[in-house]
Amino acid sequence: MANEQVGTLVLENVSKIFPQRDGQGEVRAVDNVSLTIHEGEFLTLLGPSGCGKTTTLRLISGFEMPSAGRILLDGQDISHRPPNKRDMAMVFQSYALFPHMTVFNNIAYGLRIQHVSRSEIKARVDKVLDLMGLHNLGERRPNELSGGQQQRVALARSLVVEPRVLLFDEPLSNLDAKLRVQMRSEIRNIQRRLNITSVYVTHDQVEAMALSDRVVIMNEGQIEQIDSPEEIYRRPVSRFVADFIGRANFLPATVEAVTDEQVTMTLLGHKVTARAKFAPAVGDQLTAVLRPEALLLKSDPNLPQAVVKQAMYLGASSEYIVDVDGQELVVVESDPSTEQIFREDQMVGISFVAETVHLLAQ
Amino acid sequence: MNHLIRGRPIAEFRRIIQDPVLFIGLILVVLFVSITILSPIYAMVEESLTEEGQELFDRYLSSPVYRNIIRNTLEMGLIVAATGTALGFLLAYIQVKVAMPFKRLMHITYLIPIISPPFAVASAVLLLLGRNGIISKGWLGVRYDIYGLDGLTLVLTLSYFTVAYMNLKGMMQALDPALDEAATNLGASKFRIFRTVTIPMLIPGIAGSFLLLFVEAIADLGNPLVMGGNYEVLSTRIYVSIVGLYNTTAAAVLSVILLVPSLLVFMVQRYWISRTSVVSVTGKPTGTPQQITHPLVRWPLFAVGICASLFILLVYGTIFAGAFTKILNVNNEFTLDHFDFVINGYGSEAMKDTTQLAAIATPIAGLLGMIIAFLVVRKKFMGRAALDFATMLGIAVPGTIIGIGYLLVFNTPNEITLPLLGTIEVIPKLTGGRAIFGGAGAIILVFIVRSTPAALRAGVAALSQIDPSIEEASISLGADNIGTFRRITLPLIRPAFFSGLVYAFARSMTTISAIIFLTTSRTKIMTHQILNEVENGRYGNAFAYCVILIGIVLTAIVILSVAVGTTTGAEKSIEGGA
Ligand SMILES: Nc1ncnc2c1ncn2[C@@H]1O[C@H](COP(=O)(O)OP(=O)(O)O)[C@@H](O)[C@H]1O
Ligand SMILES: [Mg+2]
Repeated sequence: MANEQVGTLVLENVSKIFPQRDGQGEVRAVDNVSLTIHEGEFLTLLGPSGCGKTTTLRLISGFEMPSAGRILLDGQDISHRPPNKRDMAMVFQSYALFPHMTVFNNIAYGLRIQHVSRSEIKARVDKVLDLMGLHNLGERRPNELSGGQQQRVALARSLVVEPRVLLFDEPLSNLDAKLRVQMRSEIRNIQRRLNITSVYVTHDQVEAMALSDRVVIMNEGQIEQIDSPEEIYRRPVSRFVADFIGRANFLPATVEAVTDEQVTMTLLGHKVTARAKFAPAVGDQLTAVLRPEALLLKSDPNLPQAVVKQAMYLGASSEYIVDVDGQELVVVESDPSTEQIFREDQMVGISFVAETVHLLAQ
Repeated sequence: MNHLIRGRPIAEFRRIIQDPVLFIGLILVVLFVSITILSPIYAMVEESLTEEGQELFDRYLSSPVYRNIIRNTLEMGLIVAATGTALGFLLAYIQVKVAMPFKRLMHITYLIPIISPPFAVASAVLLLLGRNGIISKGWLGVRYDIYGLDGLTLVLTLSYFTVAYMNLKGMMQALDPALDEAATNLGASKFRIFRTVTIPMLIPGIAGSFLLLFVEAIADLGNPLVMGGNYEVLSTRIYVSIVGLYNTTAAAVLSVILLVPSLLVFMVQRYWISRTSVVSVTGKPTGTPQQITHPLVRWPLFAVGICASLFILLVYGTIFAGAFTKILNVNNEFTLDHFDFVINGYGSEAMKDTTQLAAIATPIAGLLGMIIAFLVVRKKFMGRAALDFATMLGIAVPGTIIGIGYLLVFNTPNEITLPLLGTIEVIPKLTGGRAIFGGAGAIILVFIVRSTPAALRAGVAALSQIDPSIEEASISLGADNIGTFRRITLPLIRPAFFSGLVYAFARSMTTISAIIFLTTSRTKIMTHQILNEVENGRYGNAFAYCVILIGIVLTAIVILSVAVGTTTGAEKSIEGGA
């Protein structure tokens, strides 16, 4: 039992209530959240702005105290331990570099607090400067660095103290798109290499998918789903998740038969069978989730017909918005060949990959 | 749900006591503020409400003499507030908006009154414009009686307009120049811009300066003592009650009457003006302010600016000349006797005592201001607005009131009686004869109390500009609150700390109203000695004191700028560039 807990970070029914900023009433920023983060895992909190991601992270780091519930590290209750005693390091959205210190002193800061010897500080800081590709920048001040370099210093400063848990609050949101992609893979590589348990907050679903072992989807202070990126994409538990991760078409469906969790229904003129995680009854109204790439367009008069409302050629793919009996669907065709490009107002046959159909209860 | 709501303050409390240093620090600060600021004010109000005090209230408020004194006080306050704000506004406008030569030099002359000792300006103006004045009688040949309201208005305006000037200059510079440009593009003339854009944006600043000057003027003791003549105001009457009549109750009653308008104005300033401020100081200006170049506007304004500079130089030049001549305008022979009197003779003790006490109070006030600013801006605890408010009372309340409060509270040892231990002396006798340290303790406390508010405001302004996650980053890297304050916060607010220290030292060296009742035969204070010299007509000695005092303050500024530094270290790279 004890062994199982080593290295794990557990949130047990954690809630955080703030008084409303204008003093009237209160905000449930985090609402009864339970979560287990394993040693060495990269876990991302993903959700729209204001859903409580930052607050959850600040509860873990100790900058906020839970209004209810407990936080455990290695099985020990750390809910009320001050943030400087938690052995976690935070990387901030604004980088929060110490503007009056050189890059070297910024990175050495945590080691000096720990009274590490001067020679060891030099060695460890130099090593992490190398790791982050920051050699020769040690004597610069933060505002003499580019955004990407500042981000690296912020990460280096947290890595050098070898914390038990690394916490990230939207660290890449101030970078331009190209740098963001590059830093993303660097963070991923370093985290893998050093195997540091990491909790990462973002509202960018692509970032979350690219980085994480598991993703936590949050909505209004509550957890909607915790799963691997693939599971979340393929089998979202709710309309909210399906909509937030990637794009999704929602088709209404009526259950026609149920055999061993296999549900039969008619979608776009096809009779299909799909698994449901819940137990529907014949006649129930369900929602089928179809990703844009699961839909197929073909000039075939035998298929149900759709009208192309909008066509966008994007090079590696083509994107269409089509109208099927008054419902608009998004279709993405990857690697379109010339004869498969459809024009606006054209009639086109529509079908789908039956295996990808995912069912939601409402 | 309900238990969660009730649990919140307890959780916050738990968080504070979890960091013992923070907790003890908070307790110490609250204790300090309660003992040194709140208890004297409370004692003074309590004294005024005794039976004897209530009788005095009735008598004063119905007596024509006292009604007249009250009316004088308010009249003087309003007039000085109006003239000082108008002058400060005009000079700030000229500085910011008019293209002209000698701008920087003019600016420096406007700052001189900040470090000037009391009586200096009044005495110099008397010598220049009084009955036998160098200008009035000597040059113009008129016999002008400057004593009274007109003289008071002149010297108080000269002494305090700098507050309005700096306030409004800062605001005008922060005003988005794009606004001006937009108005010009729409075809508005410069005067229309001034009337429809500049003035409305500055209303909070103008109102704020007006109120500040009003409080300063009605609290001022030094100038009415020298310049008042038959024009009596509350502060001088309070002074006479203590020094001449030894009637503390009467002084307390008059103080409460003076306290009412001061506190009222302080509240208005705090809760109304500061809320309605529309100027955004955080945004970076997006262009350069439009400068006025039209010759018919430019040169008259330039003339006003330069006249103000020249008059200030004339006043301070008089002080300087007076210090080096036997009797200025009577016997203009060069002499160092006055300096000898101050440096080696009778005044040397006061010079040393004052400098020493101010030097002790300065770092305490500076640090205290920064610590309270840190607690107020960064820490969540119940009563942080109250802590800020109580600290600000140190300056919002007229100095005479603080002084009398100290006499009431600390003239006897403060004791508490505990069940088992019996009676313990917690605070020894701090004021009057046979006080510990010869009364120096009380004077240091008053210096601190009077200068912490300015440091607090500077600290609050600086801290609000610093992203709190910089401090959180430090804590997340393992530093505790004290370490973070010392290594991160304090260096980043160094410019505010520096100006807090400079203000504390200058204020301590030049204050008179708050300590005039607290000096003892063992602890002499320069400003008090200056008053003695002025009252006895020995202006040469008084001016020598003033020159030396200004010299000490300037030296201290240099020492502080070397020891503390005026920058955070983050600025350097801006010129260095990457
Ligand atoms: N200190 C606070 N006081 C009051 N409300 C807060 C505070 N911090 C966050 N909130 C509120 O809690 C909710 C969640 O905020 P946050 O955790 O910052 O969301 P996210 O990081 O997901 O955008 C928001 O409604 C926010 O306004
Ligand atoms: Mg956030």
